[in-house]
Amino acid sequence: MSDPAPLTIDNPGQVASTAPPAPGRSRRLSDRGLAVAFISPAMLLLLAMSVFPLLWSLYLSFTDYSATRGGPANFIGFGNYTAILTSAQVHTRALTTLIYVIGAVGLQTVLGFGIAYLISRRTHGRGVLTTLFLVPMMLSPVVVGLFWRFMLDAQFGVVNSMLGSVGLGQVEWLTRQRTALISLIVVDTWQWTPFIMLIALAGLSAVPKYLYEAASIDRASEWFRFRTITLPLVWPLLLIAVMFRAIEAFRLFDLVYILTNGGPGVSTETLSFHIYKVAFLGFNTGTASAYGILMVLVVIVLTQFYLRYLNKLKEG
Amino acid sequence: MRYQRRIGRTSVPGRKVRLATAAMLLVATTVAACGDGQDDDAKASAPKAPATIPELTKDPLTLSFIWFDWPPAQALEAFANAEYKKERPNATIKVNTVPNANWHDAMFTQFAARKTDFDIAILDSQHIGEAVTNGNILDITDFVKNNIDVKAYNPYLLAAYGQFPQAETGKRDENASLYGLPLLGDTWTMIYRKDLIGDKPPQTWDQMISAAEKCQADNPGVSGLAFHQANGSDAAAVTYNTVNGIYGGNLWDAKTRKIEGVLNDAAGQEAMDVLVNKMKPLTAKGSGNWFIDEVNAAVAQGKACIAFNWIAASGGLLDPKQSTLGSTREQILDKLGFATLPSQKTNLVPLGGMGMHVSAYSPTANQAEALNFMKWFERADVQKKWAAAGGVPSRTDALESPEFLNAGPFNQVYTDSVPRMRDMWNVPEYARLVDIENTNVNAALNGAKKPKDALDDIAKEQQGVLDSSNRKGGGGL
Repeated sequence: MSDPAPLTIDNPGQVASTAPPAPGRSRRLSDRGLAVAFISPAMLLLLAMSVFPLLWSLYLSFTDYSATRGGPANFIGFGNYTAILTSAQVHTRALTTLIYVIGAVGLQTVLGFGIAYLISRRTHGRGVLTTLFLVPMMLSPVVVGLFWRFMLDAQFGVVNSMLGSVGLGQVEWLTRQRTALISLIVVDTWQWTPFIMLIALAGLSAVPKYLYEAASIDRASEWFRFRTITLPLVWPLLLIAVMFRAIEAFRLFDLVYILTNGGPGVSTETLSFHIYKVAFLGFNTGTASAYGILMVLVVIVLTQFYLRYLNKLKEG
Repeated sequence: MRYQRRIGRTSVPGRKVRLATAAMLLVATTVAACGDGQDDDAKASAPKAPATIPELTKDPLTLSFIWFDWPPAQALEAFANAEYKKERPNATIKVNTVPNANWHDAMFTQFAARKTDFDIAILDSQHIGEAVTNGNILDITDFVKNNIDVKAYNPYLLAAYGQFPQAETGKRDENASLYGLPLLGDTWTMIYRKDLIGDKPPQTWDQMISAAEKCQADNPGVSGLAFHQANGSDAAAVTYNTVNGIYGGNLWDAKTRKIEGVLNDAAGQEAMDVLVNKMKPLTAKGSGNWFIDEVNAAVAQGKACIAFNWIAASGGLLDPKQSTLGSTREQILDKLGFATLPSQKTNLVPLGGMGMHVSAYSPTANQAEALNFMKWFERADVQKKWAAAGGVPSRTDALESPEFLNAGPFNQVYTDSVPRMRDMWNVPEYARLVDIENTNVNAALNGAKKPKDALDDIAKEQQGVLDSSNRKGGGGL
């Protein structure tokens, strides 16, 4: 009978090196080596596709570089950043984006939570209903934009046709300043309400049943139960969903490009759409890089505030 | 014990090694991504093409074009493969297409990468300045001198599709360099309903508006006018520029590079007033985002009395399968008439169409084939065949040939319009200038801006673009 293995040792590496290798494994490949081998393709991809472009655009943001004009990238300090932050054009796009984010995410939150609440109260057909509600989320935004563009066409669109059948007049959904932005919000809401619904449904399913049972024994009203049990327990999860949607909505490009192309005029041009124009119409790569970096910074800063609030909520 | 090792922190020297490796990887990625440093050595002007065509390869070769997706692109591929192959059996022609809205980006992002998957870029005439300044296309001045009969063309057509710096309207500077040759000529045609407004087309712009007004009043459900109003591509900008020209306005003073005070002078303001306050009320509700296809659809469905569209995009109007105006081409032509644009203070019409330009980044064998193709394409007999195949040629003899004039009811309109053409600005800043004009004219047409404010904003913003070349930072805003 061999001696029992010691519980502690002075030099753990020594024991690890003397341990017999697993069958079929190369003697030279340690666990760490194996881990590095597995991780390195993903790390290399991440470095090449994410880290490098980010650092490179950070560098370009301090230059007057243009991708088409070529030539050296002259260092101009914070020139691009100052120009962007003081530009009236950027302020207009920022306001449009803000209105869009608040409108779209607000509507999606109310509708998403409402639908989830109603579904959670059903005992039959929950799965089928949930799957059906998720369909819009699975479609490509370009496809969604294209068919909504047809549906909202003032002359031939099905929406105006339906309005006409109930005696209402034609609405210029995509070519009037107010209706164009509302149309964008409606289409985005149609597509992304299911996302909020899904997260809210997960939160609602996790609320312990015994709390409702206790409330029933105390003859608490439906509203009281919702206000004091359901909402407080689902709220943190809902806020995370709101954060994801807000970040997504903040960088909206595809729907604008397909539905309104930023029009009428520039009234539905979002920040992302404006960056696209700066980057590809004049190929002002330095300015576009600074613009992009500023957008990333805004998202990071706002997310930090948001996460702190969420942590406080948890601690509370 | 092994578990402890796995989760234990790496020793300091180990961490340093890994950090150094990561840094080296990043540097290597950066160096690889930056390429061979061509950016720094990029020439400020276009490289020269050989004066004579180099020896052509006998190996199979695909000559690639890039254009936007519309009927002439398909017509070109079919025509070139049928005819050019008779002379060069080893060559295959491929016309790659992208949506119209992505056309500029698709070409210039590849130019930016200094690597193109096309050999011949079909550029809008206004793109030439940007491509030449960046050294993206070949200077073919010497090649043209040795291989092309320049006297066979209206001088302005040859200049519009190839010359840089831009020619004065109606002229060609014989000392200026050429960077392209005409592929497809084009201009606007007025499409009118003969059965609703009569056989004789309106002769002046005022008469045209009156005829449209009366037609709309007499025919409920049919709008008086249909024209381009969208804020993408150059749609709304071309519409305003056309009315501006007809009312005696100017887009800019090319010599002094002055736009403010020129574009928005009294003539410019009158043109904007006519467009927004007289023409727009005669269009269909919700037509504020219409471009080529929507205008054609309105005409084909009998929903417009008078419409304006590019000639090269009008062929589909005669297709009974796409029209409610008749079950045969003849029945459709009984109702539809095509005419040159009415005149008012001037008789200017917009110059459309595109030229062929050889990519500076194409392989040498493909560049040689591209030059050979261009020489072949500009031959008198080939231009007439191109006309018969549905193309719009540029040689005067082809424009006046029965092959062209009998090929479509709108071809005579093109031939008559050639001496009346005016182009937009052909400068490196074109893409931004046209975007400013597009968005502001679109805003005025859709009630988002007052016409005068829109025109003043266009002039101010465009002037800002032309003046901002030396600004440190914020270019493009």
